[in-house]
Amino acid sequence: MTHVLAHPLAGQVLALASPGAMGTGEKVAFWVLGIIALGCAIAMVAARNAMHSALFLVVTMFCLGIFYIIQAGPFIGMAQIIVYTGAIMMLFLFVLMLVGRDVSDSLIETLRGQRTAGILVGLGLAGLLGGGIARALGSIDAKGLEQANATHGGNVPGLAALMFTRYVFAFEVTSALLITAAVGAMILAHVQRNGEKKTQKEQSRERFAEGNHPAPKAGPGVFAHSNSVATPAILPDGTRSARSISPLVEPRELTAEDTRPKDTLTGGGNQ
Amino acid sequence: MSIAPYVPIAGLLVLGALFALFSCTIAPLVGPKRFNKAKLEAYECGIEPAPVPAGRFPIRFYLTAMLFIVFDIEIIFLYPWAVSFDMLGTFGFVEMLLFIVTVFIAYAYVWRRGGLDWD
Amino acid sequence: MNTSGLAGLAAGGQPAGFGHDVWWIVLIKVVAAFVLLLLLTLFAVVFERKVIGAFQVRPGPNRKARGFGWLQSLADGLKLAFKEEIIPTLADKPVYFIAPVISGAVAFLSFAVIPLGPEVSIFGHHTMLQVSDVPVAVLVILAASSMAVYGTVLAGWASGTSWPLLGGMRAAAQMISYEVAMGLSMVAVFMTAHSMSTSEIVAAQAHGASLELGVFTTHIPSWYFIPLLPSFVIYFISALGEGNRTPFDLPEGESELTGGYLTEYSSFKFAMFYLAEYIAMVTISALCVTLFFGGWRAPWPISLWSGANSGWVPIIWFLAKTIIFMGVLVWIRATLPRVRYDQLMKLGWKVLMPVNLVWILILAGLRVAARNNDQTKYLVLAGIVVTVLLLVLVWPEKQKDDRTQLKREIDTGVGGYPVPPLDLVVPPNPRLKRLEAERAEEPVGAGSKGSAGSGAAAGGPSETAASGGSEE
Repeated sequence: MTHVLAHPLAGQVLALASPGAMGTGEKVAFWVLGIIALGCAIAMVAARNAMHSALFLVVTMFCLGIFYIIQAGPFIGMAQIIVYTGAIMMLFLFVLMLVGRDVSDSLIETLRGQRTAGILVGLGLAGLLGGGIARALGSIDAKGLEQANATHGGNVPGLAALMFTRYVFAFEVTSALLITAAVGAMILAHVQRNGEKKTQKEQSRERFAEGNHPAPKAGPGVFAHSNSVATPAILPDGTRSARSISPLVEPRELTAEDTRPKDTLTGGGNQ
Repeated sequence: MSIAPYVPIAGLLVLGALFALFSCTIAPLVGPKRFNKAKLEAYECGIEPAPVPAGRFPIRFYLTAMLFIVFDIEIIFLYPWAVSFDMLGTFGFVEMLLFIVTVFIAYAYVWRRGGLDWD
Repeated sequence: MNTSGLAGLAAGGQPAGFGHDVWWIVLIKVVAAFVLLLLLTLFAVVFERKVIGAFQVRPGPNRKARGFGWLQSLADGLKLAFKEEIIPTLADKPVYFIAPVISGAVAFLSFAVIPLGPEVSIFGHHTMLQVSDVPVAVLVILAASSMAVYGTVLAGWASGTSWPLLGGMRAAAQMISYEVAMGLSMVAVFMTAHSMSTSEIVAAQAHGASLELGVFTTHIPSWYFIPLLPSFVIYFISALGEGNRTPFDLPEGESELTGGYLTEYSSFKFAMFYLAEYIAMVTISALCVTLFFGGWRAPWPISLWSGANSGWVPIIWFLAKTIIFMGVLVWIRATLPRVRYDQLMKLGWKVLMPVNLVWILILAGLRVAARNNDQTKYLVLAGIVVTVLLLVLVWPEKQKDDRTQLKREIDTGVGGYPVPPLDLVVPPNPRLKRLEAERAEEPVGAGSKGSAGSGAAAGGPSETAASGGSEE
């Protein structure tokens, strides 16, 4: 694309991005964020409270996203922040809340040999990463993402050009992965309703249907016939307690008609 | 790549964070402190708070978060596709159609099973 | 359509005109954006109260000493800073502190990529009237909104009590659900503008284009809310949900959750959440203007004046449009009641999202059809029709559950009243052991003691609560 190179800035930007030359800004950002990311990663393992642990991981992932941006991959950096810190860590938080607020790590080994296996796998991963980095630093002549971005007129179009042509199969397979995730979540977490839920409309219709009592019913354990201040409380032995009503209020004995629940057929109380 | 255009964005974030940190630290220092044990209790409209807050949560929240991840990833794929839509041609359209329809199958399944219903 | 949208791209896709400012211009722009956002927030609070007052036929804040009410929000903010801060004993202190900081800090972030105007000259230096722009500018806003969820959910969790926790969880589920709809609604904009950078989206709305829609050609107006009307409607609804605005302000749900996630917050930490909420109001209006209403570009009759779209003038159009949108948000708040939580989730997942996906496919199909020669055009059109029909066919119907008939028979007791069964055995409450031991010491049913019932009623609050617990 000629217009890319025609831009007065292009040369300068490309020079900055050529392998080996790293701007001061990038260096400062790398060292500051690198320390934060590493510190939070260690704190994540060390924290006893599961929620604090998750929050440290959020910071680490956020820093990783910024690293990607610094390394000329703004789209993947933003995707890291939106998907990993925004969505996946939110799922972590939800899960931690599902199991209760005050969960903390227990140091009891529930699976036998788990710790040994963990250490072995950790060492293996460290070896893999170390090998990868050593190879990248040594024998590979790095071109830098900048050149790749420039050929397609930007990071996002470049990504699209590769993802939707050369790696189209991997892209389509991702949809299968997403299906698996959704279906798996459904199977693990969905609780089928016991019967259909009544809508608000249906409930309201039922309430005012003929012969029903629309007024709220007394709560469980309430045996008084009236909630009037003039109705005395009944003591366990059946007598009325004089202390339960104000001396200023004239005690009133309710008739059976007064206490009858008023339904929609027989109408209100003033008969 | 030059990170120059990202510096002002980070700058605004840092400025906002400093403002929030500063005011949240200073405010308790300048405000009055009148100790009262009742104030420190949880606010539950005067009713004595239950000792443990609702510890466990409906698992439906987990399901929502999982579906959110699925569709968030779909959106992330849609963005570069949308930006270079005109360069990708009919082939790009067809492959995205396939992708969306495949994810839609999962969506329809979740809907049918009632995974999107809330009480 | 051609790829002319890409012509404006500089090296590496970086939007032209950004990333080479002198350091002090960067500083001025960052501080100016920060101050502008604070002023807009202070304005928004009073504006909302005054407009709502007008809707409800009352004056709203109008104290003469506070600039006829216009300084009311500033006075409130300052007052909050000097209020006592109460941290409940059950709170998780570090997280309780960090939650409002996250909310406050992230709220400012989105405004960094909102274009306020074209290129201007500050002390002889030419610079864009926008803090910065990057090829993934809109993603910065999405990232900020996904980070903002943390402020809410952590505030709810760290308070250590039930209401904030419930409020925080609800808020998080709501915000992530509406984030999906919001993210999808922007896809059509990217498709039309060929860019995710905000300044280029505004630039792309400068001129109307002629679009061949299938078999006929039509001229589409430049502002995207007309050609992309479904996207605009979905964006606006989901932005209301994402910003916790009425009718989707369930996280605060006063009537059911006392105050939602910020129940236990006081003093300036409370103010920080308040600030974040009103900044969100400004941001969603500003983003709406940027994506769908031409950004800082002057509206039609004014745009005939040649100076309308250059220099410092466009900032007026931008602010005017943003404030009109804030007015619409207030109008909605004054008009609509709050929806139920199940209605909210239903709207987000079952309406906004599928409609959005189908709209994107239809739009993409039309574009492909318009681009290709006649034979392919009809093929693609037929393909779209078939796809839409297929979608309608497999559209999940309301599932009829056979178990509906076998509804659990609930024993409603005598005459429909929910009376506990007579043989109900209540398991002993461990917390009451001490209380029961105390009771056992004094003989029960002594005549001189009067009545147990009235005694309990007259007793202290703790005894009432305890006996209530044991009898249920």
